[in-house]
Amino acid sequence: MGTRFLIVDDNELVRRSLRAVLRTRPGWEVCGEAPDGATAVEMVRNLQPDLVMLDFQMPGMNGIETARRMLEIAPTAPIVLFTQHAGADLEKHALEAGIRSVVSKTNPSSMMGIIEALLSPRGVEQGPESSGPKSCDK
Amino acid sequence: MNEQEKINILMVDDQPGKLLTYEAILGELGENLIKARSGKEALDHLLKTEVAVVLMDVSMPELDGFELADMIRQHPRFQKTAIIFISAVHLTDVDRLKAYQHGAMDYISVPVIPELLRAKVRVFADLHRKTQQMETLNRDLRTLSARLIAAQDEERRRIARDLHDSVGQMIAALSINNALVFQEAEKLTPEAADALSQNTALVEQLSKETRTISHLLHPPLLDQIGLLPAIKMFAEGFGERSNVKVTVDLSPEIGRLSPNAEISIFRVVQECLTNVYRHSESKTALIKMWPSEDKLLTLQVRDEGKGMPPSNRAFASAGTKQGVGLSGMRERVRELGGTLEIQSGENGTTVTASFPVANMMAVGV
Repeated sequence: MGTRFLIVDDNELVRRSLRAVLRTRPGWEVCGEAPDGATAVEMVRNLQPDLVMLDFQMPGMNGIETARRMLEIAPTAPIVLFTQHAGADLEKHALEAGIRSVVSKTNPSSMMGIIEALLSPRGVEQGPESSGPKSCDK
Repeated sequence: MNEQEKINILMVDDQPGKLLTYEAILGELGENLIKARSGKEALDHLLKTEVAVVLMDVSMPELDGFELADMIRQHPRFQKTAIIFISAVHLTDVDRLKAYQHGAMDYISVPVIPELLRAKVRVFADLHRKTQQMETLNRDLRTLSARLIAAQDEERRRIARDLHDSVGQMIAALSINNALVFQEAEKLTPEAADALSQNTALVEQLSKETRTISHLLHPPLLDQIGLLPAIKMFAEGFGERSNVKVTVDLSPEIGRLSPNAEISIFRVVQECLTNVYRHSESKTALIKMWPSEDKLLTLQVRDEGKGMPPSNRAFASAGTKQGVGLSGMRERVRELGGTLEIQSGENGTTVTASFPVANMMAVGV
């Protein structure tokens, strides 16, 4: 059984690169790509991916607002925020919104390790680490 | 050349005959002449119209000219209104001094020489006109200044966004591609693997420098998250770049403010820290922001450096010596209706800006 990723980023080059690198792992596939938050939320609803790679700075909703909406629909989907502005302050707000991890786009070396950790059985069990949505049975 | 607008000259005398005489004398000047026969009438006119010069007799039987002058001067609006006293009585220097103490700006004795009266009135009329012009110019300058600052902010925001959207994203794609190739590094010759490592390092450096430029242009978290995280992030980056240890103490009660307030406060912080780095030789800096009594929001940036030279501290004077940064800061604070105070000595400098909370709030909050 493969692992299905949803990639959300307004830039085509970034999506392409991310798609390529994710597919180097056996069993990992990209089931959908979205250029903005609203489309991404719909895709989560329809595709129910195993993990979402979410850009922070996009036109319209930013990544954190998008994550909040997504978690309302799919409270257990691990979301990784993916950004040029990675840092402690953004991370704090991201975690508060229910995002599981923040990865720097321009220093992606830790990215694969973080994704693997989130996908591992232990990672899935952990569930949202902070004040995400209150109940999962909507 | 524009036709000059007429200014208003108020003539006060309880004898109608005298008023007619003044009218005849001053008619030539081509300005608006208003007649008042009592103190009350005079004050009524003053309240209704913008009066440039008041002409009044010192010794009217019903009304003391000095008393009327006092009443006029007490009104904050009329403190600068020119008053010319006309006196029949021979005036000693003591009398004259008394007149000047009442705020009179000139004195003419009776019998009035028409040319002289016209000349004196004309001088005050011109003074009034010039004052009006200056006030208009001042207002225009301030509007222009605010617009320029806003335009500058907007341009910086746009450039930072463009940097993120184009250069930044390409760098991101580069990084990820490098990471992908790196996964198969064992397939490469040593030289190729080495080149790849170098590429990775180069891209990282590229990313770091672009990010710094972008962050200095426009704080990335400001619009999306808010002022407090934007300040914290800036302080952190500043600390790394400058080796100045920055402590940040921002009251968590402060929520989102209007976009204009947020960018202005951020720029004040940015300017203050830049000055700390460039001039103060201080090893530390403190940024504090808190809501204070009187519904004020106060920002303070403090360092322990060597202090500013006195010419810069003299804040009230808008000298060109001050440099664009300080003037810009003053302008931003003023535009928000705030006050800016700089205390500086050999133990350091403290910049304090206070803003009325009402001016800071986002619309609809």
